Amino acid sequence: MSWTVVARKELRDVWGSRRTRWLLGAVAFAFIAGGYAIVLSGFPEPSSADYASYMVGVVALLVPLVGLLLGHRTIVGERASGEMTLLLSLPYDRLDVVVGKFLARAIALGTAVAVGILGGAALVNYPFGSFEAGTVAAYTLGTVLYGAAFVGVGLAVSTATTSTAVASSAAFGVFFLFVVVWSQLRGVFVAALGYLGLADGRLPTWALFLYGAEPGMLYRRLVDGFFAGVEQGPYLGPEAPWFLGEWVAAALLVVWALGPATLGYLRFRSTDL
Amino acid sequence: MPAIQTHELSKRYGDVTAVDRVDLTVEEGEIFGFLGHNGAGKSTVINMLLDFARPTEGQVEVFGMDCREHSVDVRERMGVLPEGYDVYDRLTGRQHLQFAAESKGVEIEPMSIAERVGIRDAVDRRAGDYSKGMAQRLVLGMALIGDPDLLILDEPTSGLDPGGARRMREIIHEENERGATVFFSSHILEQIEAVCDRVGIMHEGRLQAVDTIDALRESAAGGTKLQISVDDPSETHLDTIEAVDGVDSAWIEDETFAVTCPSDVKMDVLVALDAAGVDVLDFSTEEPSLEDLFVEYTREGGQ
Repeated sequence: MSWTVVARKELRDVWGSRRTRWLLGAVAFAFIAGGYAIVLSGFPEPSSADYASYMVGVVALLVPLVGLLLGHRTIVGERASGEMTLLLSLPYDRLDVVVGKFLARAIALGTAVAVGILGGAALVNYPFGSFEAGTVAAYTLGTVLYGAAFVGVGLAVSTATTSTAVASSAAFGVFFLFVVVWSQLRGVFVAALGYLGLADGRLPTWALFLYGAEPGMLYRRLVDGFFAGVEQGPYLGPEAPWFLGEWVAAALLVVWALGPATLGYLRFRSTDL
Repeated sequence: MPAIQTHELSKRYGDVTAVDRVDLTVEEGEIFGFLGHNGAGKSTVINMLLDFARPTEGQVEVFGMDCREHSVDVRERMGVLPEGYDVYDRLTGRQHLQFAAESKGVEIEPMSIAERVGIRDAVDRRAGDYSKGMAQRLVLGMALIGDPDLLILDEPTSGLDPGGARRMREIIHEENERGATVFFSSHILEQIEAVCDRVGIMHEGRLQAVDTIDALRESAAGGTKLQISVDDPSETHLDTIEAVDGVDSAWIEDETFAVTCPSDVKMDVLVALDAAGVDVLDFSTEEPSLEDLFVEYTREGGQ
């Protein structure tokens, strides 16, 4: 269990950075501010589920940003500065290092998210709304998972290069692709598949599955399916196959949280320091 | 069982051979000096001991355990002062020591370690504010935690003031008396000469020589160095000197003749100069220093 020692040191280190404290504070603040603002924006008697769908736009922007910022220097930063040399002089496996660092950073972001959601949901409850503990717990879990996915992607970027500048550019590239342009790409995919004779004006289900496997799409579907009660559209409508539904979306988000970090570890394990 | 053993250990980076078929054995309980210029391959060998870098060919074992297969077990028995490290800027000295202790699964008294390495007054300051020398002391302290069986010290005196270097030597001796094997790399001869039982000389990736310091000195070519002050130190007399049977080489240094030769040839050289009409004003002899020996071993690719 030596990764717990790494994780504890890492948490201390993360918390010691003023920039990181600001970032995490901003995340918590956004959730709390949302809990206050929802009453003013067309939800006279908001529920915890309304709160979840109200927040989706902000969360889909802020959580990936902070997740990538937390993750993308994890390995490469320490490697470039020489802290990794000190760390691996101690009896740690590289797996301990990756697991400890990943969990510490995912926990840091997760804590900010959880504190923010709890505060926000309490504000939603007062004075006219309602607070459903199960919904809040599920919403927190899903959002923490979404954050962990981007910490994991950041970590994978971090292990793939020895230059912090390259890692920063790559993290920005991921953010730009997933958060900024992905939702605009649907038309491009339709046209490309149409050109190949694989689609006819709309995406076939396998293509919808792939297109919808981007973490932000998954997160929106999770919120739409579980909290907003959306029952229409190509993913959640009555015609849609099961593998486009919210449960599969939740499972895929778990894959995003663990997959890239695992690949990052495999890459890190096989390279010289 | 040797503390460190390498078999045909090689490391190549593209076309560059950093370490070339090194066979090295460090016995348990000795203080071994690993000598070479910067870039000679010392750190690459150490990086392979620590599993930071993987051998292109060959193996390296510590206490009979392969450093790749049993990397964590190997490092559990080691205390390491690596090269090119950085401390955690935001953690204090005390937090560093505690982290090292937790990592090795031992309980420590941080103050007594801080005292031992001489950072007592700085132990609660953030390590990011430490000077290079203080960071070096801190990391030495981390290396000593858990009474390791093998201390790996890569250029340990870099950044240390003379007092710090002396303290380092004292600690090395204390640890050795406790039973630890010490593997000490340096490009500074005096450092190695002052503490080590045996020395290995690395040059351009090859292990050129391994022996005790005394034995290396004895085997140094030429033996004694003779310096002769004369009234007319001109080049032409160098031939006269070199014509003497047994002389290894002769050259002009600071307006005097410098000659390397076995001890019993000294008088022959002086006699030959006198016969050639040169006035010998003064002369002195000098035992070969490790520096001369080092130059000897690394000049033409060794033995």
